[in-house]
Amino acid sequence: MTETWRLIDMRIEDAPTQMSIDEAIALARPEGETPNTVRLYRWNPSAVSIGYFQSVEKEVNLEACEEKGVDIIRRITGGGAVYHDYNGEITYSICAPENDPRIPRDILASYELICGAIIRGLEELGVDCEFVPVNDIGAGGKKISGNAQTRRHGVVLQHGTVLVDSDIRTMFQVLRVSDAKISDKLIKAVEERVTNVRRYLGREVPFKDARDALVKGFEETFDVVLEPGELTEREEGLVKKLHKKYSSREWVFQR
Amino acid sequence: MKQAEYKVPGGKLLVAETEVEDGVLTSVKVMGDFFMHPEEAINDLEEALNGKETVKIDEIVAGFFGEKEITLFGVSEGDFAHVLKLTLES
Repeated sequence: MTETWRLIDMRIEDAPTQMSIDEAIALARPEGETPNTVRLYRWNPSAVSIGYFQSVEKEVNLEACEEKGVDIIRRITGGGAVYHDYNGEITYSICAPENDPRIPRDILASYELICGAIIRGLEELGVDCEFVPVNDIGAGGKKISGNAQTRRHGVVLQHGTVLVDSDIRTMFQVLRVSDAKISDKLIKAVEERVTNVRRYLGREVPFKDARDALVKGFEETFDVVLEPGELTEREEGLVKKLHKKYSSREWVFQR
Repeated sequence: MKQAEYKVPGGKLLVAETEVEDGVLTSVKVMGDFFMHPEEAINDLEEALNGKETVKIDEIVAGFFGEKEITLFGVSEGDFAHVLKLTLES
């Protein structure tokens, strides 16, 4: 019989809550009550997330974020800075034990497998895309998804961004591309290295269609049924505690 | 403060900031878009280097990764020593 995993379906929350939920699931998973879980979610207000090891000042244009009301958060995972546009982006996360037979021990292979679920979903929408090592997905030579994984307490947690209709101009106003003085021409070149589903297909794709396609991508890749569910009481309790960490200046500005 | 960047070919970016007095590291910070599990180990690496002579960077970094169970992705152990030593040249 096909296994059932929990789907936490398209919750819209602020940045500290979203990151707290991902970490809470990873913390609770080894305790037994928490099942393997896939989340799809959106960030309100829009936010920039930076990798655990990144310098907030180097990666983020703080003034532009302030001006646009864009939140800034540090993730528990490494990797690069991401602009989570409320009006144009879906974030996913997946949490399963490291020893699940479906999860490769090799980190690159596990990225490739999990990204494969996103690729299937995007292909369902008509986007021809491929895994770009080490942790990206590209469509037509441009980045359409970035992904980040951590392994702790015997579980794998991977989350990533799927650019559905993200405002790429705003993305590069809130993210710093490099310390070097960038000319308008170079900004244009950077913008051209990123795409989104709407740009690629030349038509609007409702969030619901993107959500349905991603669910299908995960179900087919892992041969499971995703059943919508809620967080456990234990997880909700952890979210409350973790929220304090993620919303603190100490955490966000530690590097 | 001295700073250096190193983009690992086919991998991730490492940024290091160091302060050195009389050949001794008095402040060390390593940043970038790499992956290290567990993530908090980066603080231990920086601490292990703090107060040590710059000539011992290779030895300390190798010893650190040799001792602990740390998984790197997108960078290798040697890249950390490399970017730290680059700050000394800047």
